[in-house]
Amino acid sequence: MNRRRTLAGLAAAGTAAALLLTGCGGDGGTADGPVTLKVLTWEPGGAEYWQQVKSSFEASHPDIKLEMESVPFDKYPEVQGPYITSQSGPDVMANNAGLELFDRRNAYVPLGEQAAEINKDLVSYSGACEDFDTSKNCYGVPFSYQGNVLYYNKDVLAAAGLDPEQPPATWDEFGAACEAVAATGKTCLALGLSGTFPAYWDFPEIARNYLTEDDIRALLAGTISWTDPKLVSTLEKLAEITTSGWANDNAPSITMLPDGADIFQRGDAAFAGTIISDAVNWQAFGEALGDETLGVTRWPVINPDAPLAQKFSGIEGAVYGVTQWSDKKDAGLTFISWLAGKENGELWVEYAKGQPLNTNVDSALLPDSPAFLKIQELVADPTLHAGVMLSGPEADALARGWQQVTLGQLTIDAWAEQMQQALERSPTKQQN
Amino acid sequence: MSRRTTARLGRYLLTFALVVVAVAAIYPLLFTVISSLKTQYGFAEDPLGLPTAGVTLENYVEAFRRMDMPRLLLNSLITTAGGLVLSVLAALLVAYAVTKLRFRGGKAVFLLIIITLTIPSQAIIYPLYQTVLDLGMSGEYQGLILAYAAFGLPLGTYQLAGYFQQVPDELIEAARMDGAGHFTILFRLLVPIATPALAALAIFNFVWMWNDLLLPLVIMGGSDSKTLMVGVSLLSGQYDVSVPLVSAGLIVALLPVLIVYLVFQRQLVSGALAGSGK
Amino acid sequence: MTISTAPAPEPTSADRTPGTARRPARRHRHAREWWLAALLVSPALALAVAFKLVPLVRGVITSMESSAGFGGATFAGADNYLRMLDDPMVITSFRNALMVVATLPVWVVLPLVLAVLIHQRAPGWKFFRAVYFVPYTIAPIVVGIMFRQILAPDGPINAGLRTIGLDPLAIAWLNGRYSALFSLVAVALWSFFGLGVMTYLAGLATIPDEMLEAAYLDGAGFWRRLFSIVVPMLRPTVAYWSVLCASGVLIWLFPLIYALTQGGPGDATMLPEYLVFLTTFTFLDRGYGSAIGIALFVFVAVLSIFSVRHMFKEGTRKPR
Repeated sequence: MNRRRTLAGLAAAGTAAALLLTGCGGDGGTADGPVTLKVLTWEPGGAEYWQQVKSSFEASHPDIKLEMESVPFDKYPEVQGPYITSQSGPDVMANNAGLELFDRRNAYVPLGEQAAEINKDLVSYSGACEDFDTSKNCYGVPFSYQGNVLYYNKDVLAAAGLDPEQPPATWDEFGAACEAVAATGKTCLALGLSGTFPAYWDFPEIARNYLTEDDIRALLAGTISWTDPKLVSTLEKLAEITTSGWANDNAPSITMLPDGADIFQRGDAAFAGTIISDAVNWQAFGEALGDETLGVTRWPVINPDAPLAQKFSGIEGAVYGVTQWSDKKDAGLTFISWLAGKENGELWVEYAKGQPLNTNVDSALLPDSPAFLKIQELVADPTLHAGVMLSGPEADALARGWQQVTLGQLTIDAWAEQMQQALERSPTKQQN
Repeated sequence: MSRRTTARLGRYLLTFALVVVAVAAIYPLLFTVISSLKTQYGFAEDPLGLPTAGVTLENYVEAFRRMDMPRLLLNSLITTAGGLVLSVLAALLVAYAVTKLRFRGGKAVFLLIIITLTIPSQAIIYPLYQTVLDLGMSGEYQGLILAYAAFGLPLGTYQLAGYFQQVPDELIEAARMDGAGHFTILFRLLVPIATPALAALAIFNFVWMWNDLLLPLVIMGGSDSKTLMVGVSLLSGQYDVSVPLVSAGLIVALLPVLIVYLVFQRQLVSGALAGSGK
Repeated sequence: MTISTAPAPEPTSADRTPGTARRPARRHRHAREWWLAALLVSPALALAVAFKLVPLVRGVITSMESSAGFGGATFAGADNYLRMLDDPMVITSFRNALMVVATLPVWVVLPLVLAVLIHQRAPGWKFFRAVYFVPYTIAPIVVGIMFRQILAPDGPINAGLRTIGLDPLAIAWLNGRYSALFSLVAVALWSFFGLGVMTYLAGLATIPDEMLEAAYLDGAGFWRRLFSIVVPMLRPTVAYWSVLCASGVLIWLFPLIYALTQGGPGDATMLPEYLVFLTTFTFLDRGYGSAIGIALFVFVAVLSIFSVRHMFKEGTRKPR
């Protein structure tokens, strides 16, 4: 009897609370007083950096408040998707530069002529513009630089009898190195084949050995078939990584972030192919392994004479744009303009340990760890990033196909076929 | 072998089998608790053993901080309680109307509601989101509460209708003769009879509504009103989490339901007994 | 069962008047009852219509449109459905669904066996009953993330297998085509078997002890009593639980796929409900996603038809 009363009481209280709070469920934002901007992001750079962004921006712009909605990267599509189709929600959103942004350009306000003005201090911003062409519509503001490098553990290499200062540079050297590392019981290349990471972090590094810049643009437009020998060769080499035993056995069922990177961070792997900014980069690994133990190099080269083989797959990091449906577009524009500025660039370096795009960033603030300095050398010669040219279905098919090839369930040609089918069902590419 | 020895051997085997299954049922939970008490490096060094490197509560502190735990708990509580109450109330009303009031279309209404049980949330998730949006409720508590109520309705209606059917019409007639109105009959006569089913229904709905992921993920997204389960899934996707940290988040997420279950165990059992022992 | 103890008000004259005056009173009452019934039924109907039927209809409409990307939608008739018939991922997902359904006998029998064992009332039986239900209270997303660690190649399960000498079994469970699906179903079973045990125990409780006593005194052994008395009397419970599992198992798997495998490796654990999610939100193909969703609905509806029919009959049956 008493329990029932308690239950009833709780239920009544619950309903009352629910009814009360549904009134408060919505967002305030009166005409007078500060404007609240809702910002949707996956918080690249970490929570601490974004707290600094909020406090710094609000300090210099007392009439604008920032409300962050942060969603992890792998859940981002399903949270952002409904907002876009319903044309409602955040005032400022982020998307990776390249096709991910282009596919969603209907959601963003084109910057028009202001684009050049806002982005004038940035090394590059073409990733935010249609077809990577700054004379066309640009949809937002990037402020970080992103790209793929191969980190390595000097101790593991040394224990395998290899020279830690001279990591393998060619494909064959890498194969030999992996045999030596495997003999010591460690994994050669830490790898995870789930999610979009294979498309963004691994594919471009192999593709650069076979594609020209025109080919990469053709990838974006969807005019090059996946059954083209260049792309098939790329797929073959990707498959070789796992079928030759260079990677950990459970690669097909784990994600590079966090599980694959974890293998490297624990010291159980010689190499890990990740990125220069945002996460699992030189800073995170340096902390885990020690700055002196961490080395950085390029992915091994397959065709040294290929035009793009020695270059760096560079792309702007996340691009922040104002949404079409926002009723605070001016405030939004103020915010993203600030993101392109020096103040934010310096916050990015200091708190996110990332690579800034702003050229006015005080160079004294840049870190001096050996890995970071080496990265500065590598980024000096960039080219188009093949990974961001892939659509959602293509990235998914790349990952799944690679998993199946690794497990012996699929041939390379069948994988290429699947990729081509994925291309044909990609919304943006169908229109070309 | 004598019959007594066989019986005793049988008893030992029986207990052994039960113990093995009990260990399998509990171990994952234990493992998660132990992992949550380790430091990140402690876990990296010894993922399987006891936290000999030192027990720490820092993971819980960190999980609380990252997940804005109080707010998430409140969100989950409001949406779950709201959905639960609304679902049970609506089921009560419709079960009474369908079983005790004579009106044409009663069976059709009942069938319609039961049929919606076959519509899984994943099959209609996108149009459901569109509907919630059209009603102006996306990102708000009421959107999720109503969705929860709609999904908890069919089973509740079925259970309660079954219960009310057992009550002989003569009893209702007699009460009506005494002048009792409909609501008196419903709430003072039928509800007490159906208490075991109500209790079981309440707990069942509480469990699945608290634990649900897809509906809150799509309806609330990552907004401040997101529920605890969404928060947990978001935690596990972040860049610099460690297994112990995620484990702490998981334990906090599952504790409320576990506590409700342990406290209301008897009601649950008697409710289950009454519910399917027809 | 007692009638309300509220003080009985004076009976009104309208109810007491005999004879011809009763007819208009009854019709009047029926009319009032209809309005009342409509009122009582409306919240539930509104919920069911607005949040389940309307989305279903909209889903059907969207499934007949070509609405990819963030652009508009154009009518496309049955195109999406035809595309499904050729799509290897869709075919694999439904094939996996059938494989999952094929495991249903385990779902039905295992909890039954455990329930019977508990029902023997060996000391500590209450403890076992309580413990078996605990996994059910843990949210599927939590279960999924938990088991990511437990099923890892150097996780506790493999460590346990190695200690008892079953090394060859200590594989990377989530890595293989069939072992991944098997692991997924096993985790789901771990989650739900407690509910089954509870259900069966409730059914077992309805078997009068006298029957079993009498059989025991007649010399019937344990197995004889089990098969001649217990199982036949449990038939309704078995039916109820079987149908619950049949219609529920696919739905229960979604959060586990989301947390544990994302449909991988390859499409080994791809099931229709996860494919709908992937197609709608990652591939941004709403029309096609809706079509797969409708196909899933039909699949589940076919499996659930028996339960719906049973529930309808139960609910509208008069007491014996």
